[in-house]
Amino acid sequence: MTADIGELTHTEQDALAEIANMGVSRAASSLRQMVGEQVLLSVPSVRIVTRAAAAKLVERDNAKKLVAVQQSFEGPFAGRALLIFPEAQSLELVRSILGDEHTLEDVIDLEHEALAETGNIILNGCLATIANVLHRTMRMSLPSIVRGDGAALFDVDGPASGAQFVLFLYIDFNIKTRDVHGFIALLMDLPSIATLKAIVNDFIHAIEDQSPRHAE
Amino acid sequence: MTSSTPSKISPPVTPNNATDPIYEPAFDTVDIGLIVVDSAGRIVAWNDWMARTSKRSTAEVLGKDFFDVFPKARTTRLPSVIEDAFQVGSSSLLTHTLNSLLPLRLDDGGELLHNIIVRPVPTAESNYCLLQVTDVTAAVTRERVLRERQNARYHAIVDSAPDAIITVDADQNIQWVNGAVDRVLGYDQTELIGQKLSFLLQSEDTLVRLLAEGTIEQQDKRAVSVVGRYKNGTFGHFEISLGRWGADQRNFVTTIWRDVSERVNAESALSDARDALQKSNEELEDRVNERTREREVALRQLHESQKMESIGQLTGGVAHDFNNLLAVILGSLSLLKKALPDDPRISRLLDRAMQGAERGATLTTRLLAFARRQELKIEVVSLQTLIPEMLDFLRHSVGPNIVIHAEVMPDVDPVAVDANQLELALINLAVNARDAMPHGGSLTIACHNEENAGSAGLPPGSLVCITVTDTGEGMSEETLARAQEPFFTTKGVGKGTGLGLSMVHGFTAQSGGAMRLQSQRGEGTTVTMWLPRAKHGEKPASSEIRPAAPELSRRLRVLLVDDDVLVSMGAADMLLDLGHSVTEAQSGGQALKLLDSDPLFDIVVTDYAMPGMNGLELAQRIKELHPKLPIILATGYAELPSDRPIEFEHLSKPYTSAHLASALEKAFIGVGPA
Repeated sequence: MTADIGELTHTEQDALAEIANMGVSRAASSLRQMVGEQVLLSVPSVRIVTRAAAAKLVERDNAKKLVAVQQSFEGPFAGRALLIFPEAQSLELVRSILGDEHTLEDVIDLEHEALAETGNIILNGCLATIANVLHRTMRMSLPSIVRGDGAALFDVDGPASGAQFVLFLYIDFNIKTRDVHGFIALLMDLPSIATLKAIVNDFIHAIEDQSPRHAE
Repeated sequence: MTSSTPSKISPPVTPNNATDPIYEPAFDTVDIGLIVVDSAGRIVAWNDWMARTSKRSTAEVLGKDFFDVFPKARTTRLPSVIEDAFQVGSSSLLTHTLNSLLPLRLDDGGELLHNIIVRPVPTAESNYCLLQVTDVTAAVTRERVLRERQNARYHAIVDSAPDAIITVDADQNIQWVNGAVDRVLGYDQTELIGQKLSFLLQSEDTLVRLLAEGTIEQQDKRAVSVVGRYKNGTFGHFEISLGRWGADQRNFVTTIWRDVSERVNAESALSDARDALQKSNEELEDRVNERTREREVALRQLHESQKMESIGQLTGGVAHDFNNLLAVILGSLSLLKKALPDDPRISRLLDRAMQGAERGATLTTRLLAFARRQELKIEVVSLQTLIPEMLDFLRHSVGPNIVIHAEVMPDVDPVAVDANQLELALINLAVNARDAMPHGGSLTIACHNEENAGSAGLPPGSLVCITVTDTGEGMSEETLARAQEPFFTTKGVGKGTGLGLSMVHGFTAQSGGAMRLQSQRGEGTTVTMWLPRAKHGEKPASSEIRPAAPELSRRLRVLLVDDDVLVSMGAADMLLDLGHSVTEAQSGGQALKLLDSDPLFDIVVTDYAMPGMNGLELAQRIKELHPKLPIILATGYAELPSDRPIEFEHLSKPYTSAHLASALEKAFIGVGPA
């Protein structure tokens, strides 16, 4: 663990990725129950970035139109959680969840609700897992849908933006042979990030104490 | 926890006093369903809205396990989200879109579509979970009705459209297709949804670029031509029109695929046909040019033959007159020789004069042959007999340096020609060949039946072909062009008459055949003669020699008819010398008058070519009047009609006294003694 708040050690990165993967696999099982098909979710990497950097990262492949499911959370650490897709990909995600029998108009009509619920499942999965793992309780709001470019989603031009950091997770969905790539972003202020890191380190030590074999 | 009071909300759940006179009526008045469960999963609050839509009264469900009231909800996400609400404080949304939730009914009995929001409700004493059930039936129905109303016309169009209609999103993922994709492209609708549009294209071409670059504001007016892929793997031509539109802040492009393969193929076929037409036009032009060239050649040949014809007529006329003169000279000389005493010196002079005149006669004979005015004695000639019989003579003519081959197959048909003229023609050709081969060589005479008569400029009818080929020096083109003209010769002055090929040409033409010369400098010369085949059944003339006629000893009274006084006098002298008496007439009319007044003539000798009544007409009149009177026709050339046999004895001019005597004998014997 370093003094630099904006950086994660390898161990911290691995621990957070493991927690995130536990969260999305929990979400995947909920989705599987709902869709009735194999759903695979995975988080290949985790990093902490500034809001501006996050805004650039989500505009991958120059796709400036983004759609996000947003929930705020409170507890030992607080902030906003975002599940972000390029706009075109979100429709594919919804279609893959709804099934092919729906017409395009149906998909567009239902997209909002379906996306909100899907995002809710995934974000709840992640946050709930973090809370479980850390033996803490959090309050989470209902999901809402936000559209816009990266800067709008991360409120780059907003007040005190420099003080906020983003825990940035890539997420890959594979549903019914369709691949959809998105991002999970946890927007937190400095104290929240510091608390999260402290809690993560507690978790790492606990595991090291319990099972030396498991130590990194 | 059991409730001892009949209130809607059991006491432990009421942090704000559940029996509050405001909260309780409000709880039952809201237009959403409200359920509160405790951490053990039991229902602790249940408002009127829930009682109405589930047909389960509050009293009935309070204190019961939520999943005992709705057993089927155990298979939904509800158990886990309620657990999460208690465990980690998460709020969840469950929509009718993705979930089948509670068995709630509308007042009219219809299905009540609803979403459920699950939220944790922590209190000082305990944690609860609030389920808010919202009725979305009206909203969903309204949306559906609105969309159906809006889309009815749209669907009527797109579903009945003959063209495939495919809508893609900004990432070119296929989002929607109409029913015609099956008929137009062969794909089932579900096969295409979710695929990239490039799946349907042969290559990532203009269309993909247009879609990537375009914005919703710029509408593409013109159709894009692409090569599309049918499901069976083949490719076709399509014209695609693009329509860009947006929905819910999202861009889409609807593409309309018109299959124009047939038209493209037809255009391609048309273009091929046009090419073929142009090609055939060019061929036609070539053919016209060729025909024009052929016509020019034919015209040249016609001019040539007209020239030859004119020369022939001129030559024939001159030769005719010369013949008459030579007849007078020869006749007079022969009489003079008889009359003069037997002096060797005089006799030698007379002989020389007669030889000169005879050579002159030979020359005129050849001229007449070229002019085709020669009298031909057509007979059936077997080439298998004639040619071998001539070989010795020909070898003698060409000398020992030249080898002669004769190839006459047994199947070659006999020809109908004048045998003497044919022999003369072959001799002329052999002599020409000899002159063309001063250092020796070979000469080949070959015969075959011509199968292509009537074509290649040959006269129609059955022909036999005789070729005479030498290995000599050949002729230049210039020489070849003039070779058939009379008096044209390449031989030195005094070495040839220039009438050899002219004679052959005249002979073949007059016989109803043709002649052709082929030669190239250094390559030898081939002369080809085509002669008419003898008609079937005609037998070659036997070479049997007629027994000599008994010498005519009678003294005859001869009526001699000739318009040329000089010729008449010569002939009269010869007749007198032969011991006959002669009465001369200068015309046919005069002759008839004489016969009329004196019917005791023994024989009539008449010239053929006379002004007014010609010799033949005279002879026919005499025959009518005096059928038994013998008649001799004297002709200088072939003036006699060739279409029917001449029934009168005839005598070729110029003739000698011996010829005349022989003719008199034949005529007299033929008719029989008067």
